[in-house]
Amino acid sequence: MKNYSSRTEAIESTIAIWSQFRRQKLPLRLFLALCLNLLIAPAVFATTESGLSRSQSYWIGALGLVTVALAIYLFFVMFAPEKF
Amino acid sequence: MQTSTTATRGTRDSRRHTPKADMSGVYQRAIRESFVKLDPRIVVRNPVMFIVWVGTIVTLLVTIDPNLFGTVSADAGNQRLLNGLITLILFLTVLFANFAEAVAEGRGKAQADSLRSTRSDTVARKLLPNGSIQEVSSTELRRGDQVQVVAGDMIPADGEVVRGIASVDESAITGESAPVLKQPGTDISSSVTGGTRILSDELIINVTSDPGQGFIDRMIALVEGAERTKTPNEIALTVLLTVLTLVFLIVVATVSPLANYVEAPTTIAILISLLVALIPTTIGGLLSAIGIAGMDRVAQFNVIATSGRAVEACGDVNTLVLDKTGTITLGNRLADEFIPVNGHSVEELAQVALAASVFDETPEGKSIVQLAEREYQAKVGFDRSTAEGVEFSARTRMSGTDLPNGREIRKGAVDAVKGFVRSRGGKIPAEIDEAYARVSRLGGTPLAVCQDGEMYGVIYLKDIVKAGLRERFDQLRRMGVKTIMLTGDNAITASVIAQEAGVDDFIAEATPEDKIDVIRREQNEGKLVAMTGDGTNDAPALAQANVGVAMNSGTQAAKEAANMVDLDSDPTKLIDLVAIGKQLLITRGALTTFSIANDIAKYFAIIPTIFAAAGIGALNIMGLKSPQSAIISALIYNALIIPALIPLALKGVQFRPLTANQLLRRNILIYGVGGVIAPFIAIKLIDLIIPFS
Repeated sequence: MKNYSSRTEAIESTIAIWSQFRRQKLPLRLFLALCLNLLIAPAVFATTESGLSRSQSYWIGALGLVTVALAIYLFFVMFAPEKF
Repeated sequence: MQTSTTATRGTRDSRRHTPKADMSGVYQRAIRESFVKLDPRIVVRNPVMFIVWVGTIVTLLVTIDPNLFGTVSADAGNQRLLNGLITLILFLTVLFANFAEAVAEGRGKAQADSLRSTRSDTVARKLLPNGSIQEVSSTELRRGDQVQVVAGDMIPADGEVVRGIASVDESAITGESAPVLKQPGTDISSSVTGGTRILSDELIINVTSDPGQGFIDRMIALVEGAERTKTPNEIALTVLLTVLTLVFLIVVATVSPLANYVEAPTTIAILISLLVALIPTTIGGLLSAIGIAGMDRVAQFNVIATSGRAVEACGDVNTLVLDKTGTITLGNRLADEFIPVNGHSVEELAQVALAASVFDETPEGKSIVQLAEREYQAKVGFDRSTAEGVEFSARTRMSGTDLPNGREIRKGAVDAVKGFVRSRGGKIPAEIDEAYARVSRLGGTPLAVCQDGEMYGVIYLKDIVKAGLRERFDQLRRMGVKTIMLTGDNAITASVIAQEAGVDDFIAEATPEDKIDVIRREQNEGKLVAMTGDGTNDAPALAQANVGVAMNSGTQAAKEAANMVDLDSDPTKLIDLVAIGKQLLITRGALTTFSIANDIAKYFAIIPTIFAAAGIGALNIMGLKSPQSAIISALIYNALIIPALIPLALKGVQFRPLTANQLLRRNILIYGVGGVIAPFIAIKLIDLIIPFS
């Protein structure tokens, strides 16, 4: 039984995903569309009239950070699922 | 089909006789554990549930202050009530998922407790190098120490018998009340397990494990799940669930600005509800429970798996390598007929066969005595006390009796007896080969009988194929599993038994080395192979096989090489293990299909109602009363489906011996289509019941 370290596995997974990314066009486009959505959403939000107080703005900012942290956490789970 | 499935289930259920674990209080403990598992350090290990857990915290904040993330247009009191209900349901969703895992773990722990009760510290009599005995605690024993145990003692540690012969009660680990004979050098019955009790005589045992690393210790750790690691299948599924969760997280996070832009604003609580409804919470909540329950089902069959990986591998097995004796046929061959040659009558042959077998204590020898006495009224015509028994040996391949008058009677393998007859100056009649061929053609084992240089005939030892095996091999074939029988018999006998039992292939005159060769050959063709073994010479093949099941009565080397140990030492159980492994994979697949199919109904429940202002209200095909009612109904369904599916996750979906394609079609129909329809009905019913307007 080969005993790979989790770091080696993570690197191998990244290489495998990258090589698939170059070959599989549809998942790549979907992923880019999702990322584009992330760019468009704040712009749309900025153009929409909203009467937010200062504290509400801070809370929304904090919620955005929580969301980004969760996304990073989910990416980490995807690359090292055996730890979870 | 139904009949055969029921028959299989009946057989499997009748095999369950694990030492009974005390299951009382498992559910109370599980409820307590569900709250303990709310600790974020524990929840973080389940990505889907961690998202729900974070969502619960956020909805709790907006329950306290509905205007925290922006001024809500609705009445603050109503909004607080809605947010409070969402918080409560999300909290229950996490709690139910924790409960499912805790129940599965609790069942394993109950089994571990019953095993732990057998592992009490005892005083061991350790043999010192100078031959004296020192009384020490069993926890002080180390690998290589020698101990003496006498009748009534608990065996202090795992070991190999080096001297003595005694009967041992192994019911503490096997549940089997009949004592087992232990003696040195027999390969099969020389290993003893710590925690079992010696009933008679005494044994000198060479300790083979250090404290805390014995067989029972390992079993406890395994059934408790302490050493549980994710299986490859679970890892793949975790990645899939995480990807789905991430996609829905991004989608929901970007929905709010767009909703505001089209003047259909939503609140944070509703967006979190949408996220929780869309991510695969059902399978996310039940995934670990399914895995633990798979290990538990194997343990209930008195089989200890070294890992969940081994159980799962059983489900993927393509080839079963089975020993003939003890697995396909009953271990004991019985004398069925005497075939005289050389002009002797059948009565004369029976008389000589009886004389050759009076000292033979094997089941075969006893059956020859019974047949001769019962059918041909043969009598022992000499004084036993002055005659001498000749034991069977692998070298001579004969046994027999030396009579007081100097005559030598032998029975054994035909070519060995032929050699004996020639060595005594006798001639070999041609009929002996005909008799040999006839017995072989019938699938039996021929034993030649002679007295000095005179051949008397052949005894037909009949191999009895175990009842019901043919049907079980048929089921395995339908599932795409190939069976290969290994036997030391000649090719003719092997082919007859193979045909009678219904195995796909056989290897005759097989040596232990052939086992490893056949496993390698199959593996080189990309197949997963399972086999059973008990001897030290089986250890390399057990290690080579993808699933190696060692018999508990086997040697320590075999048990260490295998990834499963059958406490009942029943090699036929390998077939059950394949069924359990497949059931585990099918259950996981079925619940995943169901969970993802559920999304469609939840999508139709929530999206059209909350974005009705954007002109998609027509998609509210369920006619749900209001956005609030739609969200609460979908979330209640989402939470309740987890405890509703706990029994299925623990018991496993009903196993049917079908091909992979048939299984896939069946699962898509039941759990896919069912998974789409069930939530539509349930959400509508909940919507009608709850008093939201």
